[in-house]
Amino acid sequence: MDTTQLLKGVLDLAVLAVLKDEDGYGYDILRRLREAGLAEVGDASVYGTLRRLFAAGLLTTYVVPSESGPHRKYYSLNAAGRDQLTRSGKTWRSFATTMDALLDDRGMAA
Amino acid sequence: MTVTGQEITDYVDRVRAALADLPPEVRDELTEELPEHLAEVAAEGEGTLVDRLGAPEAYAAELRAVAGAQPSRRPARFHRLAEARREAATQLRLLDRQLGPVLGHETVSDFLRPLRPAWWLVRGWLAALIVAWMVDGRSGLVPRLDGNSSTGLLLLIGAIVASMWWGRRSAGITGWRRQLHQIATAALLLFSFAVLAQVDERADTDSYGSYEQTSVDHRYDRIEDVFVYDQQGRLIRDARLFDQNGVPIRLGWPSCMADAGAVPEMRNTYPYCPELAPFGPPASPSIAPPALAPTGSATPTGNATPTTSASPEPTSTP
Repeated sequence: MDTTQLLKGVLDLAVLAVLKDEDGYGYDILRRLREAGLAEVGDASVYGTLRRLFAAGLLTTYVVPSESGPHRKYYSLNAAGRDQLTRSGKTWRSFATTMDALLDDRGMAA
Repeated sequence: MTVTGQEITDYVDRVRAALADLPPEVRDELTEELPEHLAEVAAEGEGTLVDRLGAPEAYAAELRAVAGAQPSRRPARFHRLAEARREAATQLRLLDRQLGPVLGHETVSDFLRPLRPAWWLVRGWLAALIVAWMVDGRSGLVPRLDGNSSTGLLLLIGAIVASMWWGRRSAGITGWRRQLHQIATAALLLFSFAVLAQVDERADTDSYGSYEQTSVDHRYDRIEDVFVYDQQGRLIRDARLFDQNGVPIRLGWPSCMADAGAVPEMRNTYPYCPELAPFGPPASPSIAPPALAPTGSATPTGNATPTTSASPEPTSTP
């Protein structure tokens, strides 16, 4: 099964999750996702997701001037974003548990 | 590092081009961080940007799909244009009703509607003028083709018939055809104004331009002195000049006396300065002033003597 298809549904949650403890700029967020194991996440998908979450009022942004290079736009979770992360996290966990049980029942190896 | 700044710029440009149908502010938002992102990607590994990220168009498509950006139905500047046009149309309708009574009708449109065939006639004539102007590079008020007024007349008749025919047909058209018609009409008026202005300008220069400026009118200020010669070509001194009412004609100024340091006394006798006469005392017939010697046989005497008798007595005519 193609991971990119799965990613579409959960990229919002993944981006919210990697911003939970630390603010980050675009490339930084992409790196965190890849380091977490989502190697197939596309560059454009991350920026598109950031824009959509921002438009939905879940993120706030601020610009940090950089001495060695371009200024960077940092994203940070606001209260609505944290709320959304909690709810989406729960939904995912319940969904994943259901899927695990479904596969377990039929003797599929992890 | 194998990726150049130019490659980054090109990639950004192509992504932006692929998002050209989005509202400008959305597109800016989506691609704002792209240059620095590409710089980071470039700094990290080998290979071209296209190798690592895919084609810019694919990147743009992914960005658009994930961000959920909708293309605007019309670019924003057309929105503003349409707004201004609606506003202008409303104002025009208001003026139409307000100015109608001035012309004795309910609206100005009511007044203008019966005059439409006249406009079609004028339109045909203007179109013929422009065609003649495009062919010949110049035009008069009657269109000519290659200077030939009979083909010009055919052109005029053809243009007027076509204009009339179009006038009867164009009433019912709508949509883009109507807009095209309006633009064409505006262009016709603009061009024909330019052509007519040119015609007018040439008409002006034709009537006066070929004559040289003389000292006949408004040029008395250039006259310093007046020299009168008699039939024999002798300079007449202390001549007096009068107009038809007996009023002395005063011309020039005694510049030679002023130069000599004396206060010039204004007299009405000419010349002020006989020594500055353009034609000297004629020694032989060949150097006699041609315009003043009516017969070649006249032999002027060697010395011009001042003759007070040469001054006429002023006679007043009722």
